[in-house]
Amino acid sequence: MGVGFIVGVVGVLILSHAAYSTIQYRSLLKITGEEFSGPPINVLVELIAGPVLCLWAALTVPGKFLSILPHSDENRVVTLPANLDFMIFNHRGKAFPLELDLKVY
Amino acid sequence: MVSKTEEEQVNRLENQVENGGGGAWEYLCLVRKLKLRRADKVLKYGFSVLNDPSKRSALGPEEWTLYEQVAIAAMDCQRLDLAKEFIKVLQRKFPESKRVGRLEAMLLEAKGLWAEAEKAHSSLLEDNQFDQVIHKRRVAMAKAQGNLAVAIEWLNKYLEIFMADHDAWRELAEIYVSLQMYKQAAFCYEELILSQPTVPLYHLAYADVLYTLGGLENLHASKKYYAATIDLTGGKNIRALFGICLCTAAIGQLTKGRNKEDKESLELQSLSALALEKAYKQRSPAKLSLLSSTLRSLKVSL
Repeated sequence: MGVGFIVGVVGVLILSHAAYSTIQYRSLLKITGEEFSGPPINVLVELIAGPVLCLWAALTVPGKFLSILPHSDENRVVTLPANLDFMIFNHRGKAFPLELDLKVY
Repeated sequence: MVSKTEEEQVNRLENQVENGGGGAWEYLCLVRKLKLRRADKVLKYGFSVLNDPSKRSALGPEEWTLYEQVAIAAMDCQRLDLAKEFIKVLQRKFPESKRVGRLEAMLLEAKGLWAEAEKAHSSLLEDNQFDQVIHKRRVAMAKAQGNLAVAIEWLNKYLEIFMADHDAWRELAEIYVSLQMYKQAAFCYEELILSQPTVPLYHLAYADVLYTLGGLENLHASKKYYAATIDLTGGKNIRALFGICLCTAAIGQLTKGRNKEDKESLELQSLSALALEKAYKQRSPAKLSLLSSTLRSLKVSL
């Protein structure tokens, strides 16, 4: 959790740095009077690295993926829940009272 | 539905709580979530949580849910004195509540005061005609009095209004099976498979009913549903494997001599027999001889 979260934060920082340096680059171009032909190479690298880190963090931080029940080998439906809405009370529990020594308060 | 990991989690927590390792509240939550019926344990551990003022107040508003859960568990264990106390506490907190009214009616049921319980239910129904839980309680009451015909009638009326309630369909199917009305039970299981096609246990129950009905057509259909169960459980369901063997044997008896398309079904049978043998070897080698004699009597070639 800790490592993934830090990696995610680093990814977001890299992305915002890319945005910041693009803005700076454009203002530099305005000063020198050149035409904008494309972002500089360091921004391109950051634009690739940032999303990759963010993606990895987003997949690891929230926790383990759960398997889809009918198609997983290790996790399948094994029993149905007891039908509690239709539970009735005259069963053998009446004949075998619980040996519990419980008193209220 | 209880999946395998959830089942393991419950068993682990139960062990932990039993050996005094704490985690009673988590256990109770899980039992409630999975709708398990472990009344004795819920009563014991829920009671110890409720009886400890500091633990109880730590729950916050969840405290009242726990009161309800433990009250029902107490009724299930025939500790009506405790159930009465818990319901009294809830009554003091929520004087006008319908949910507490339901609990009181349930307590009357548990005492066996059917006329009074019926009166309580009908007065609750007057306030809210579409209270599903109370309709279901009326069915359960008829069942508890051994009046299965009335229970079926109530359930059918209920299902006309709430058709999507698969718990009710399941209950109706089980009542029909207990009365040996297999055709009607088959219809209920068809509804269940339609509404939840990914639950292997409905396929299994439907196949059982079809096999019990008998007849060549039903046996073929039953074999298909056993196969579907095997498909959905990844071959982990022993009952379905046995079902395939039994179906093939029964079909073989009915179509004696006139064997068409038999090769495929024989292959299916021997495959499931192999899977059975493997499972028995793994889990209980002592019963392997029993299995092989059973399979021999069904004329299954390994």
